[in-house]
Amino acid sequence: MEDMKQVIFTRPHKTIYAAGDKIIKVFDRRYTAADVLNEARNEALVEQYATLDVPSFVSVSETPEGWCLARKKIEGKTLAEIMDEEPEKLETYMEKFVALQMTVHGQKVFSIKRLRHKLMDQINSLKDVSATVRYELATRLQSMPKHTKLCHGDFNPSNVIVDGDGRWWIIDWAHAAQGNASADAAMTYLLFCLEDKSKADLYLKLFCEKSDTARQYVERWLPIVAAAQLTKQKEEQKDFLTGWIDVAEYQ
Amino acid sequence: MAAQTNEAEAKLIDHVDALQARMKEMRKAQEIFASYTQEQVDKIFFAAAMAANKARIPLAKMAVAETGMGIVEDKVIKNHYASEYIYNAYKNTKTCGVIEEDPAYGIRKIAEPIGLVAAVIPTTNPTSTAIFKTLICLKTRNAIIISPHPRAKNCTIEAARIVLEAAVAAGAPENIISWIDVPSLDLTNEVMRNADIILATGGPGMVKAAYSSGKPALGVGAGNTPVIIDDTADIRLAVNSVIHSKTFDNGMICASEQSVTVVGDIYDEVKREFQYRGCYFLKEDELDKVRHTILINGALNAKIVGQSAHTIAKLSGVDVPEATKILIGEVESVDISEEFAHEKLSPVLAMYHAEDFDEAIAKAKQLVADGGYGHTSSLYIHPAQKEKILKHAAAMKTCRIVINTPSSHGGIGDLYNFKVTPSLTLGCGSWGGNSVSDNVGVKHLINIKTVAERRENMLWFRAPQKVYFKKGCMPVALDELGTVMGKKKCFIVTDSFLYKNGYVKPIEEKLDQMGIRHTCFFEVAPDPNLSSALAGARAMTAFEPDCIIALGGGSAMDAGKIMWVLYEHPEVDFLDLAMRFMDIRKRIYTFPKMGEKAYFVAIPTSSGTGSEVTPFAVITDDRTGTKYPLADYELLPNMAIIDADNMMEQPKGLTSASGVDALTHALEAYASIMATDYTDGLALKAMKSVFEYLPRAYENGADDPVAREKMADASCLAGMAFANAFLGVCHSMAHKLGAYHHLPHGVANALLICEVMRFNAVEVPPKMGTFSQYRYPHTLSRYAECARFCGVCGKDDGETLELFIKKIEELKEKVGIKKCIRDYGIDEKDFLDNLDQMVEDAFDDQCTGANPRYPLMSEIKDMYLRAYYGK
Repeated sequence: MEDMKQVIFTRPHKTIYAAGDKIIKVFDRRYTAADVLNEARNEALVEQYATLDVPSFVSVSETPEGWCLARKKIEGKTLAEIMDEEPEKLETYMEKFVALQMTVHGQKVFSIKRLRHKLMDQINSLKDVSATVRYELATRLQSMPKHTKLCHGDFNPSNVIVDGDGRWWIIDWAHAAQGNASADAAMTYLLFCLEDKSKADLYLKLFCEKSDTARQYVERWLPIVAAAQLTKQKEEQKDFLTGWIDVAEYQ
Repeated sequence: MAAQTNEAEAKLIDHVDALQARMKEMRKAQEIFASYTQEQVDKIFFAAAMAANKARIPLAKMAVAETGMGIVEDKVIKNHYASEYIYNAYKNTKTCGVIEEDPAYGIRKIAEPIGLVAAVIPTTNPTSTAIFKTLICLKTRNAIIISPHPRAKNCTIEAARIVLEAAVAAGAPENIISWIDVPSLDLTNEVMRNADIILATGGPGMVKAAYSSGKPALGVGAGNTPVIIDDTADIRLAVNSVIHSKTFDNGMICASEQSVTVVGDIYDEVKREFQYRGCYFLKEDELDKVRHTILINGALNAKIVGQSAHTIAKLSGVDVPEATKILIGEVESVDISEEFAHEKLSPVLAMYHAEDFDEAIAKAKQLVADGGYGHTSSLYIHPAQKEKILKHAAAMKTCRIVINTPSSHGGIGDLYNFKVTPSLTLGCGSWGGNSVSDNVGVKHLINIKTVAERRENMLWFRAPQKVYFKKGCMPVALDELGTVMGKKKCFIVTDSFLYKNGYVKPIEEKLDQMGIRHTCFFEVAPDPNLSSALAGARAMTAFEPDCIIALGGGSAMDAGKIMWVLYEHPEVDFLDLAMRFMDIRKRIYTFPKMGEKAYFVAIPTSSGTGSEVTPFAVITDDRTGTKYPLADYELLPNMAIIDADNMMEQPKGLTSASGVDALTHALEAYASIMATDYTDGLALKAMKSVFEYLPRAYENGADDPVAREKMADASCLAGMAFANAFLGVCHSMAHKLGAYHHLPHGVANALLICEVMRFNAVEVPPKMGTFSQYRYPHTLSRYAECARFCGVCGKDDGETLELFIKKIEELKEKVGIKKCIRDYGIDEKDFLDNLDQMVEDAFDDQCTGANPRYPLMSEIKDMYLRAYYGK
């Protein structure tokens, strides 16, 4: 088995391998057993309770490098790759992407973590940010409507795999939670913005139209999800995200 | 030393346990404070206001240094205002104990503190808001715990400390003011959960938290004040007022102007004035730079709040002179996607052009909807443009609308208008999701107890202006119409029987003698109906009388009253007139004023109804069969003429039925919850006369003129009694029994009265009537009083009542009244089939309300059944 492992890509603190019909994510020691079990639990819960195409969960085990999580491999390309290959069909793909996200939001998985608890923990953990900004963010989060929709939490085209039959599979549920769909949309918008502002605007326009949501309502979440993204400690994003979180409430 | 430091540290409020402990101490302090007198409180309020005022400059410096926002000199004004203006506004306000009293009405209002107030204080006005809130809490004997914003905690706490120390030195309990030392959302939430009321000033997030805490909250909302400068405005005053207000503390007052819409062709002149006074109009390429600086994803950039125009320009990469007062963006869209359309909390202003006033209002409405619902709007206009001012006020969904006034100063009050309550917490009403729409003050921080003593209803006694009586008085009375009043045209209403038998003749002759023209309508039916009343009213309208004479029994007099109403007020809706009421003085419908066209004279020809002196009239709508009882003192005749000469030839049946009716009037008026000494005497004398003279009048008719006259007077006296004391459930039931089964009204009453008396006399009724002066069920003794006055006396009230009822039964028998309803040939099946509806209608009759025992429908049914079968 070991020899057959083939590195697909590496990310800071984790490496993803393909091994036969499985995909194996190997985390470095920065990730605790609890982190990895939580991700595994999310994948298992979504697979069990949601009506979505998600790859089956296989196992969690420990290796000398760190904890690893295995799931079934889906043959196909990521939607991100497809969008790059067929830029003329971007709008069509984006519409379908938004529709898929809304299908996720239509799911209920009650035993999954609450998004607002997760976000509050993330805000409170931001030690580089001043107490004032944290206080403002926490106040803003507390005032947002509390929902229980399934949110992927990292919904972007590279986490959607389109297989040979044209089925769209959603992978990587590490950040999944139940909460406000607009917060999830705000996170997706943020992720797009980090790559390509025009794609981000197309996405947000379509999301607001299709879900009949006011743009300002999604925007109210942006400082909060920017704070959440800041906890991932990606140095190259720091200035950008910091610029988004230092906002004042209207008075 | 070390021990002291430890103690101070132990008291630092930086976690939930310490906070809870402190709040416990505060509650104890507040309990003591609650017992302070107004004098003690005012002394503390004075000392605290003085101390805050003295510290206005150091506090202002601290606030600017700590928050990095605003202007020291302006913050000095805010601190000065928060101490001096608040003190001045409330120095004489009563906030302790009895604050209002009206001994005549027996009402007393007592102010009590609410308890522990949680105060959330924003970064924009930290020290002034802290001074304001602590002062109004001291004035109202509340304890206050402050949750400062982390960005402004030191200056906020310092302001609170200064007020606390002065208050304690002036005698306030220790710990009456406190604060969170290390602010966090958890502690803020804890404060809000455990306080008695929350005074939340700040952004929508905090206000939402306050309202969600489960405690009553005085939260206020965000503003986005739009200014309209009308083409009639004084441009120099307008522009300089806007600049003055917008630059005040770098635009951090929530009522501050956010946009200016200029109407018509004064735009360039307004622009020139702004430029002349040091404002900078952003050029095309600079607009976008500023747009992207002031807002981040639709949210206000925290870095620009309370900064100078120059600093904001620099942040945006725009070069402007350092002394620039305001950055102005000339923009077109009022949509929320336009950054300039938002609240900016800084000297940045949007400027729009509107073709006309209506367009300007439409723009202002949208700007308010963008983010300032309920807050403030502003208009500059010539004061003579009243219509436009009203139009603007009607269109703005804002709780403060300031005219020709800098809105920052205008909103907080008492600076440019001296009736606006000074405050640093401005309510935005339900539009802004708030519980208050005015400027928050001491009245919001007290509970008012209303102590209401029992008072009796104020009553009056109403009767016609003139009641002529004595046999043969009619010509004398009629003479007055001509010789004194100078009437010209008289309309007589009567029935065909009386007309044909010459009863109208003496009246006509007298009118002829005086040269008063007259006509006679003699088609009144025994149960007067609406169509004959309408016919009579038409005839009246054609004839245009200045005097109406109704001659006859109840029917003719009631029909005359209705025609009178329709003649004087053809516009009235009958159903409105007939609407039931609980209290004739509080009825919803105001009866039209009567007597402006004609003087109404009532002349009875039978002795029973009393209609000549009552404010009542009953009429049947012949299309639907519905009976409408009308009641209002406007229906009271102006003159009643009680002349037994008109009654001599009454037939036996009429004598008996109307005689017993008069007895029932007297008995019900005496038992009524509205009976008074004024009506009791009339009722007693009336019933005594009926016992004595009805049998004689019945037996002897015209041969006994004394009996006739006594009965005429008895009927009129009883009429005056029930015109003022009203009747009871016997009449309610008789009205419906008569209507359903065509029994003469007097007979129906006669068949029910004894049942009703036993019903009312119960000492423990399931329910009693509601009327302030009706103190307890006492009808048994009231009936016993009647009995004794009429010469009946038993060993106690109970036996007296039974003897009295026996006397009534004997009277009824003597005058030919049968024993029970069935004896009048009412079919049993028919009676039972209609019984439930008849019960409900009787229950809802206008007379039921004055009955001393509030009847249940089942009880009315039982009485009907007993009266039907004769037990």
